[in-house]
Formats: sequence, structure tokens, C-alpha cells
Amino acid sequence: MEIEVSFVLNGKRVTVKAPPAKSLLRVLREDLDITSPKPGCEAGECGACTVLLDGKAVTSCLVMISQVQDREIWTDEGLVKDGQLDPIQKAIAEEGGSQCGYCTPGFVMSAKALLNSNPHPTEKEIVESISGNICRCGAYPRLVQAIKKVANE
Amino acid sequence: MKVSHYTVHSPRTISEALNILKDGAARPIAGGTDVMVQIKDDLVKETELLNLSYIMDLNYIRDDGDFIRVGALTTYSDLIRSRLVNEYSPVLVEAARTVGAVQIQNRGTLAGNVGNASPAGDGLPPLFATGAKVKLQSEASEREVDIGDYFLGVRKTVRQPNELITEVSVRKMKPGDYYFFKKIGLRSANAISLVSVAAVLVPAEVLTFKEARIAMGAVAPTVIRAKSAEAAILNCQLTDEKMKEVGRLASEEAHPITDIRATAEYRKQAIAGAVYEGLYEIVNGFRSPVNGSSV
Repeated sequence: MEIEVSFVLNGKRVTVKAPPAKSLLRVLREDLDITSPKPGCEAGECGACTVLLDGKAVTSCLVMISQVQDREIWTDEGLVKDGQLDPIQKAIAEEGGSQCGYCTPGFVMSAKALLNSNPHPTEKEIVESISGNICRCGAYPRLVQAIKKVANE
Repeated sequence: MKVSHYTVHSPRTISEALNILKDGAARPIAGGTDVMVQIKDDLVKETELLNLSYIMDLNYIRDDGDFIRVGALTTYSDLIRSRLVNEYSPVLVEAARTVGAVQIQNRGTLAGNVGNASPAGDGLPPLFATGAKVKLQSEASEREVDIGDYFLGVRKTVRQPNELITEVSVRKMKPGDYYFFKKIGLRSANAISLVSVAAVLVPAEVLTFKEARIAMGAVAPTVIRAKSAEAAILNCQLTDEKMKEVGRLASEEAHPITDIRATAEYRKQAIAGAVYEGLYEIVNGFRSPVNGSSV
């Protein structure tokens, strides 16, 4: 059985047919060609699939597609404007916060959620905001540095 | 079971939800942070899911005399941000901050933690330490159950299949009450508790207490109170020796299991240490009591 769900993805209204219990992560990747959210653990523990849902960071593997009717979703793809990276994407690249790259889109979205609600966070707030994201290359200091850079701009 | 085998009901009102639930076949989902993992691991036996996320009437935090009423869709992030909850149930806020990480706090709900009935649910010990009530509604009836009577075992509760948890009421702490919440996990974010403990202490005079409630998580099939440890705290000076004894008594009341994350022996030592640490912080001035206008 499939249902039709319509929501706003990166600023544009989309409609998709999917099994109602399918995860938002799988729908984004398999049905909408949005591949920045990564299937790491698919149990809400690694943060690689983090997206913004109505402005809040959520792990898209734990969101059912049935739960996003008329909601607003942002992914990394949506942050690129006219071919220009978002300041946080640019800062992570410049600071070397992206090593193998698998976790990077999730970190970008967690950082974005923080900076949207708190443009000048403390180091403690920065660390807390990305504590749900795992980087097995260990680029954490560079990621924190990148977020600080944007916060100080 | 493949993801395509599930039917999902998405009602807009509580009464529609209760109607869907009347034959008891559907599994309610609030945030979904537990259920989605269980679906992936093929642990959900129901083929029908009741998605509550569009029922706006279930998303609230209300001041109601001695209680704070929390709707079934209210997330941990909502609780952390709430002035009312910070003022009157700081022990719940302290626990909410340890739930998963930001992404989980943004989706996970207190009612979902109650419904999932894991003994390691981080939101649960504060409910036992403050004295909460769970509201269960069905099409035909409505009842409130004390948190201490709600859980029967691991994932077993008094909720009937046709009943929905619509609200959790948290009893307000009083100005002057001391409290702590401690969680021991393998890391500080996104880790299931090896043990957890919440405590509320009601003072008699300066740093002596006339009432103590200590609730321990992940050391029994349900959250349990450490009654002998509670009794040992009352009306005495909490010397270092005394605090260690209270920790030891709590540990004796714990009957944890050995699993993939920790041994039973480790958990017993950890709970003794967690209780001692919380008391130590109170006695040595590292913790402020509830002041009733802290925000």
C-alpha cells in the first residue's frame, strides 16, 4: 500500500507516493534523488541523516513519511544558492572539517539548526548542537572551528 | 516485515484517534524515535500504526495547580524550553537534556517514553521521583494512573490496547526542594543509560530532609524507588559516611541484569556511585534548590 504525501522540500512543494511507514530518509534518497542525508546507522544514533524539519534538526531515519504532510524540510542541497555554498558549508570545507565526507551533510544541518536559532553560540552550545553527530575520521575540532568561524562573521 | 506491510492512520483529532484505536489493533506513535528503530529491527507485531503527529490538541504544557500537564505530542525540546517546567520540575529538565541528542529531543516525547516502557527510558525516573500521573483515554472511558502503578514489566504496562496515553501530569516540585538526575552511559550523547537515577529531597532544616524520593532506571524490569535508601536520608546529617551508606542501600535494592552494555555487578556499583555523587553535590553546595522563580 502506498500513500501520497505532499511537503515543501528545499523551498519547493513536492508530492511523493510511498509506503506510509517508510522513513523520510529512504524517501528522500530513493524517491526524490536527495542523497546528502546518509543512511549510517538508521537508528537515530549517528546523525548522518540529519535534516531540518520545520526548522529543527531531526534524524530523517526516525521520521515516517506519513508524518511530514505539509511540513517544511531542508537538506544540504537546498542550502546552495546560485551555485554558491552556504557560509557553514564553505567554512567546513575551508577548515578541513570534511575528511571522508560521509558525516558532513549531517553536521552541516545540525550546525545550520543551531546558527538559525542562535547566531552567536558559545563553544559549549556548539559542542552540544553536534553531539548527536558522529565523525569517525575525528574532525570534531575542525568542525567546531568552522561553526565558530561562521558565528563570528 | 517489509515497510510496505504497515498501514498508517493519521487522524487530526483525539476522538478520531480513539475511534481508530477501539479494536485495539493499532500501535500509537508520537515522535516515532523508538518505533522507527523497532520497525527496522522487525520488532513491531502490529501491522497498523496510529500516527498522532497531526493532532495539535495533544501538543501542550499547561499549568494546573499542583501539576504541570504535558500533552502526548510534547517533545523533550519543548520541555527543555518551557519556563514552567524549568521553574517547577527542573529534575525533569535535567533528565530531558540527557535524552539522545538534539535530534532525538526534537522528536521524542515524554508520553512516548512512558508508552514504550523501557526500564532505561531517561524521562521516567523524574516522574517517579516527583509523582506523576498518566492519563489513558479510550472511546468509552478516561482514567488517570499513578506512575508507580503504570508499569508491569519490560514493555508491559496497564494500558489496554484500546487506550491512548493522551497526557502525562507532572507534580510540581516546591521551593526549597533539592534534586538531582544522574545518567551513566557509554558516552554523553545518544547512549542508552546503563543506570540512571533521579532524586527529590524535601528539606526540614538546613540540609536535613523530611522527605526523599529516589527512583532508579535500568536496574530492574521497571523504574523502581530505592525505599530503604530514601528512609536512611530522613532527619539526619548527611555526613560523607552516611551518603555512602545511602548509595550502598540503593545498590542493594537494585537487581540489574548483565547485558551487552554492562554487567549486573557494574550496574550495582554505578548506581551506588551515582546516588552518592548526587547527594555529595547537594551537601557541598554544588546544587541549588528549587526557588520557584528561577527563570
